[in-house]
Amino acid sequence: MSQTPGTTRPAPRGPRVGNFTLFAIIAVAAVAIFLSMSAGQNPWDALFINPLINSLILLDRLALGQFGLAIIVFTLVLRLVTLPFTLRQLHSTRALQSIAPRQQEIQKKYKDPKRRQEEIMKLYREAGINPLGCVFPLAIQMVVFIALYRALVHLVGGSPESLIGLGERVYPWSFLTESIPLEQHFLWLNLGRPDTTLILPILTGVSTYLQQKLTQTPATTPQQQQQQQMMNWMMPLFLVWITLTLPSGVGVYWVASNLFGVLTSYYFYGRRSFRWRDLLPMPAPAAQTKPDRVGAPANEPNQEPQPVGAGQRKERVPHGRKRRGKRKNRR
Amino acid sequence: MLLAGMLAATACARVTNPQGWASPVALDGTLLVSTDKGKLSALNRENLTPIWTFPSEDEADERIDLEALYGEPAVSDDVVYVGAYDGSVHALDLATGRPKWAQPFLADGPVIAGVVVDGGSLYVASDDGNLYVLDRETGEAKGQPFAAGDSIWATPLLADGILYVAAVNGKLFALDSDLRNTWDEPFEAEGGLLSDPVLADGLILVGGIGRRLYAVDAATGREEWSFKADNWFWGRPLVDETTVYAPNLGGRLYALSLQTGEPVWEEPFQSEPKSPIRSGPALAGDVLLVADREGLVYGLSPEDGSLTWSRQLNATILADLFVLDQEVLISAQGGDLFRVDPASGSSRAVEVLPP
Repeated sequence: MSQTPGTTRPAPRGPRVGNFTLFAIIAVAAVAIFLSMSAGQNPWDALFINPLINSLILLDRLALGQFGLAIIVFTLVLRLVTLPFTLRQLHSTRALQSIAPRQQEIQKKYKDPKRRQEEIMKLYREAGINPLGCVFPLAIQMVVFIALYRALVHLVGGSPESLIGLGERVYPWSFLTESIPLEQHFLWLNLGRPDTTLILPILTGVSTYLQQKLTQTPATTPQQQQQQQMMNWMMPLFLVWITLTLPSGVGVYWVASNLFGVLTSYYFYGRRSFRWRDLLPMPAPAAQTKPDRVGAPANEPNQEPQPVGAGQRKERVPHGRKRRGKRKNRR
Repeated sequence: MLLAGMLAATACARVTNPQGWASPVALDGTLLVSTDKGKLSALNRENLTPIWTFPSEDEADERIDLEALYGEPAVSDDVVYVGAYDGSVHALDLATGRPKWAQPFLADGPVIAGVVVDGGSLYVASDDGNLYVLDRETGEAKGQPFAAGDSIWATPLLADGILYVAAVNGKLFALDSDLRNTWDEPFEAEGGLLSDPVLADGLILVGGIGRRLYAVDAATGREEWSFKADNWFWGRPLVDETTVYAPNLGGRLYALSLQTGEPVWEEPFQSEPKSPIRSGPALAGDVLLVADREGLVYGLSPEDGSLTWSRQLNATILADLFVLDQEVLISAQGGDLFRVDPASGSSRAVEVLPP
């Protein structure tokens, strides 16, 4: 049996969102798709767009006709509902940060790609990491983004024409229909049109950058580091462009969602491991290894692999958690 | 993955820009029609050749952007009055298309409803919730506007000196020339009112978001009857003697008794595949014409709603159909014009060249 270099230290596990939950969600979705198709409806519309449109109208009523506020409330509710998945993702990120040096050692030690992959997967298993753990929150975010965009085109599409398709989507409840057409103005924005003042696109870009830096997994190869550096810029710039093109309501969602993500990360990692300097777009110091610091690479890719524990800072305990078994693990 | 998804989302659709759905207006020798987005043209009625277009390509008009025209223009004493989505209202010389006022009137919101002329006044309803009264000669506001409490998208109806104003807060007002309510209280519908009110036999017919078409007593403001459908009523109802033909956004055309609101046909006509009908129908001879948003025009029997013919025009049709000299004129979005023969359904596109 091959031995993974370094000592095996199980990473703290995140909240269990078991496979059963995921399977249950997928099964319910499959049944709903089947039923909506049987009823001659477009499943995408019947299951996502229409409920979303009606939820937003309902929130608009509860927010006293402030549709921008309704979008923010919707975003917060959605992020709270998906918080277990987000926490799972953050746990995975932190675990990845903690095993990064060992992963780097494996990269160095095994030249055979297949063997290397096996060892890395083994390391993941030992550390309790699901490499696809971040896919679900991302998938939810993507689906909501597209659905919200489509919903906004109908709700505050910026023209009377956009309302024509709304009639068949709004449930025939007077509580909902009395709100239509929705108020398009929120703060300085026309929610149905792109923000020409550039304030919202800039807010979107900055918040996306912060969110990315706070949840970044450590790069273990030069290629990965290059990719990350590119994504650090590309994603915010892409979102700036998107916000310039799409209705402002989508930008409001994105900024609110990012701010929620930033706050979640901040409280998850703890204030002590958070350094503003790490958020700046500067290359990390070459020789320092900081596997547990938020937003910083765990190790420089061209650095010699170190035995675990050597040259590393002690793993910080997340904010609000007591140190247990500290003495026991000391040698 | 997120990046790819968002790219797909942005590639698939864009923000809907206002396009407009102003229907044509016929005068002796002239036809006023929107032949391009945010432009109004006067055409020779005989051969449909253009006389003028506003705003023109001239330097004087290069800063004018009306965005879109939804309400049909009003004409009085050889002056054309038109409100636009950019909130401006213009008075144009019928012969030349040049502005008559020193500067256009500017409302606080888009003007979606058509303007109404009454003597020396011009009534302008706006999305900002106000009904403005303008001096026809100068374009200046006369006194304070009437506040409807919400946007007004439907063209107000002027009949016997009373102005009937339907707002998207579901209220229908009957105002005198001093903008005072003539009813004890405004009529209140379930959901916003969108369709242009129509007067027939002492009843105001109006529909909207609440999926109901209402018949309201024009004298008292009391509901006489209402008809519940499966979708919103937005198209202007057409009344022929004792029957009301009302389209809705579920792609249905209903024939209802004017007196009772009971359905006249066994089944309403249904467009395929349930494409919304925003355009008001037209009756040409013994053929009832209706067009859905996807560009399908239908010729129906007014008696029972049975389909006589259908024609695909490959255009987005939201403007009211217009009967012109034994033919039906259809103004599609983007400025395309079609002439349809009501008997056979044959159609031809009208090419309008710049003046």
